[in-house]
Amino acid sequence: MRTPLIVLVLSLTALASGFAYVQWSKGGTGAGLYSRLWSPDPVQGYWDPAKFYQSTQMVEGVFQGEQCVQCHESITPGIVADWRNSRHAKAGERVWCSACHGDDHQRLHLPTPEVCGGCHEKQHGEFKDEADYGFPSHVLAMDRALSAPHFVDKPKAEVQSCVQCHSVATKCDSCHTRHRFDAAEARRPEACITCHSGPPHPDDDSYFASAHGRLYLAEGDQWDWSKPLVKGNYKVPTCAYCHMDGGRHQVARKSLWKFGLQEINPHTSANKALRREWIGLCGDCHEKEQARGWLSALDQERKQAWQKLYATEDILKGLRADDLLFPAPGERPPYPLEAPGGPGSKVRIGYFEGQASAFYNVSAIERDYFEMWYFDNLGAYKAAAHGHWAGVARGHKRMSESMQRIEAGARDLRALGEAERKAGIKSDSGGLWQGGAYTDHNRERN
Amino acid sequence: MGFIALLFSLVTLPLWAGEPVPPGPFTDAECVACHWKWDPMVIETLRTGPHGAESGVVCSDCHGDRHQSAAQARQNPVCIDCHKGPASHSYATSKHGVISRLDRSSGDQPLQRGNYRAPGCAYCHLHDKDHGDTMVPKSDPMARQLICSGCHSPRYVSEQLAAGQRLVEVAELKMAEALALIQGAPEPGAEELKKLEAGTKDHLSNVRLGAGHQSPDYQWWHGQPALDGDLIRIRDRIATERRRKAMEQVPKQRSIK
Repeated sequence: MRTPLIVLVLSLTALASGFAYVQWSKGGTGAGLYSRLWSPDPVQGYWDPAKFYQSTQMVEGVFQGEQCVQCHESITPGIVADWRNSRHAKAGERVWCSACHGDDHQRLHLPTPEVCGGCHEKQHGEFKDEADYGFPSHVLAMDRALSAPHFVDKPKAEVQSCVQCHSVATKCDSCHTRHRFDAAEARRPEACITCHSGPPHPDDDSYFASAHGRLYLAEGDQWDWSKPLVKGNYKVPTCAYCHMDGGRHQVARKSLWKFGLQEINPHTSANKALRREWIGLCGDCHEKEQARGWLSALDQERKQAWQKLYATEDILKGLRADDLLFPAPGERPPYPLEAPGGPGSKVRIGYFEGQASAFYNVSAIERDYFEMWYFDNLGAYKAAAHGHWAGVARGHKRMSESMQRIEAGARDLRALGEAERKAGIKSDSGGLWQGGAYTDHNRERN
Repeated sequence: MGFIALLFSLVTLPLWAGEPVPPGPFTDAECVACHWKWDPMVIETLRTGPHGAESGVVCSDCHGDRHQSAAQARQNPVCIDCHKGPASHSYATSKHGVISRLDRSSGDQPLQRGNYRAPGCAYCHLHDKDHGDTMVPKSDPMARQLICSGCHSPRYVSEQLAAGQRLVEVAELKMAEALALIQGAPEPGAEELKKLEAGTKDHLSNVRLGAGHQSPDYQWWHGQPALDGDLIRIRDRIATERRRKAMEQVPKQRSIK
């Protein structure tokens, strides 16, 4: 009778102390899971204002909206011109500077989503609730960036690049650029491409090369973008038409294949419901049967991609098991989270082991796999999801080539290891990974 | 009488000042000869800047060979015709580039603060008629601070410029690390290492473009992690080569035994 009680008490204690530990770890000078291990650069305040923005003390006084405009007309005329042309400046419903920034110049703040939510309650509520759907996510993007091992491991000046996109969680102007905040602008695909471009997420290239995107590029400038994102209003779908249908600010709500980063079972009841939603959406213009076929093609594409990825992961795990990775984990530089021999010192293979941070401080063959998973695979996925069939073929060709390169590399490592074993020599990387202008800087100054 | 004539000429100045200009077309020498009188600053900065005589760029490349073509030359496509690839793609994917593309202006306003919703290529690089390049590292840093401050607060600008500078310095450390590794290699001139060195230079350039054009994707995926990959592969080539060489010595010893 007693045992279950003890187990219950122990589990509750463990749960409570785990919770307390996470809270404690978030209480440092930085933010996120490793907040005690880093301090922000001053510029971080512009990307994460709620946590890090500090007002300047240069100007004293409390000002009314007209006074702000009067002065800033000469200091920052671009901002004032933008505001004048925005809906916020419309007579009758005018939203002055002070409504979002405060009126005491020594205590000005940058508007967080909460400030915008003061008026735009529906959109803000939807945006916050996106967290219920897990990753990938816009509203959780900043936490995700700050809690990545490489955010701690690398110089803060370097990882400033990350928060420029991940600040989509902490400000609204990533899509509604200041100080116009135009919904019509945010509806257009270009509003997304500053972040959704480049090797791991070529959403721009894959969409613009699809039939939808080509038609948008040819005719989109002539369309009326003030119309809501509903059936009949647009000739082709754009990013927002599909991912924010009806203007709902939950971009990742319908995420079925989870960004192509991890394998999912498309046939669970929850995923079947999502699939019906997608088919319904395509049905705004297409026959549902046709839409069903396209989604099955995407399932097939993902299945083939994961076969290639798992086969390659097995090769790497085999090398790790036989201690053949070169350099061995202990010979790599002591990044803050990976002191040699420390608990973090391990080789990460696959999504659940933290593959997303396996792009530095790894051996060449691990880096090859990172690129295969993050660039080739995601390129193929984005192309398949956006209907850019040449991109699918190219992505899979690249995956096959990467796989062959990794197979050949593994054969070399095994042959060399075997020969060395027979010869009785133990080779190491000769400290080659341990020093250098950047490596030393990161060890001493980060 | 003379007074009336003077008054008349002053009142009609805008008319007769514009009139003597024939419709064109003009040669480059004709443009320079005339504008040297009206706009010596334009010609001076053009001559000493990157579009000077050695570059082979002539006035008509951007302005066409007719008059009244400043508006045309202020448009991004004029620049992108030559500056293809990462140089303009890093801008096109930035917020400035996106807004410029969506909110197309006629380009008929001078390139001065407050006149444009977002900066096009010329707004920053040929700001206020400067025909040199107001954005190259050797140009006056105060000029950069002022150009950005037309829309952003002075503190925001100085902190962003400093952050960009630090970001580039990190990338330069990676470049220095790569070059030192290659120089210390048994065969620094090996074809594979040469290729890796060229890639490293491209990725450093991407970081610079990403910082300058405020394109997160060029700072990051085309830049910093790509440089990490270059360093990994340079080390791997060198260390693996040494391993192979060490093995080549072994069979002889074994055969003796």
